[in-house]
Amino acid sequence: MEEREGGFRKETVERLLRLHFRDGRTRVNGDALLLMAELLKVFVREAAARAARQAQAEDLEKVDIEHVEKVLPQYLIFIL
Amino acid sequence: MAAARPRLSAGRETSDERAMEPAGGEQRELLIQRLRAAVHYTTGCLCQGVAEDKGVLFSKQTVAAISEITFRQCENFARDLEMFARHAKRSTITSEDVKLLARRSNSLLKYITQKSEELASSNMEQKEKKKKKSSAAKGKRTEENETPVTESEDSNMA
Repeated sequence: MEEREGGFRKETVERLLRLHFRDGRTRVNGDALLLMAELLKVFVREAAARAARQAQAEDLEKVDIEHVEKVLPQYLIFIL
Repeated sequence: MAAARPRLSAGRETSDERAMEPAGGEQRELLIQRLRAAVHYTTGCLCQGVAEDKGVLFSKQTVAAISEITFRQCENFARDLEMFARHAKRSTITSEDVKLLARRSNSLLKYITQKSEELASSNMEQKEKKKKKSSAAKGKRTEENETPVTESEDSNMA
């Protein structure tokens, strides 16, 4: 898989998920961890890209928190 | 989750506080802080990539917000994944469960499915390599064929 700037480490993803499991027996297999890392990467990048586009639509170069707030509802509906 | 008093990195609590807090809870809080920090770091890296692609700058608060949203979303993801696996009568979460998670957005699902196929085919390649190695090793034991074991990539899977 191509390595662009950053990405979630397999270990981090595993701990993140395991933190919230309700059943002590639940495990995640290696491929699923890698896929989740990809999914999270997309999740972050898409949120960032949408906020950036909003800022640019307002003729701004700096993306601020209100841009995130503006794009968030539609984004979450789209992706979740 | 209880909004605990902030437990940021160093700083020793009073012995009273320590006595009240069960050891497990404190460790969990520490783990949560570490994971939050890890997510924040990676979010920062990814945002940096997007910033370069689009020629913008992200404020610190923006990165923090996206990071926090992502961190919190992991709870839903984890619970969903666990339920999907349980629904399939498994206790191990697999790629199929992750694909289900991505179902709402066609483009996301397509992307994840593609990655899943890449993983599957690279797993197959690994197995092929192992087979070749072990069969080559067996070949060496017979004194007739002294074929050198090369790591040649003559895989048929283009």
